[in-house]
Amino acid sequence: MKKSRNNYKPREDRKNSPFEERKRFCPFSQINSPVIDYKDLKLLSRYISEKGKITPSRITNVSSKKQKQLSQAIKRARFLSLMSYTHKIFI
Amino acid sequence: MNKFEAVILYNPDLSNLIITKEEEAFNSTIEKSSGIIINKEEWGLKNLSYKINNYKKAFYKYYQIEINGTQVQDLKKNLTQNEKVLRHLFVKVNEHQTLPTKMVNNEEK
Repeated sequence: MKKSRNNYKPREDRKNSPFEERKRFCPFSQINSPVIDYKDLKLLSRYISEKGKITPSRITNVSSKKQKQLSQAIKRARFLSLMSYTHKIFI
Repeated sequence: MNKFEAVILYNPDLSNLIITKEEEAFNSTIEKSSGIIINKEEWGLKNLSYKINNYKKAFYKYYQIEINGTQVQDLKKNLTQNEKVLRHLFVKVNEHQTLPTKMVNNEEK
């Protein structure tokens, strides 16, 4: 859907609007973002659900390239029994 | 020569003597296949998040290795035939991380 030019407001007016669509970024593709690693359990546990499932990228907003690396890292941590297959372990 | 990371889980019932022997055996097999151990780290006795062969704990050992890729298969074969090893993982990396790894850091906090 195209926004018509008439609806355009300056940035300050839009800032507090609840309908504003803020642009979301991939948490792993920024300059200072963390490196995905199967040993970093604190980081990985942020991206699994209560049941231990990997959360989809449409919720966490991870880019598809990084999501592949993330899921690989989680699967490695599970294989080494650092992480559970069936539930979340809080560190 | 390629760079690899290896994590090995040992049987928790073993005494320290036997574990050091196992380590030496692993080191010698790497040296035989013209590899180098760059770094190693001990994560110690850790709780498993699920049972492996009815064990609830295991000794974790972490290695940073430089070795030919074809030799890794022989290493894996040796480890799978070893009954004292519960599980092992080899990962190829582009560059080795600086120690200590995140595993040790998290525990201290």
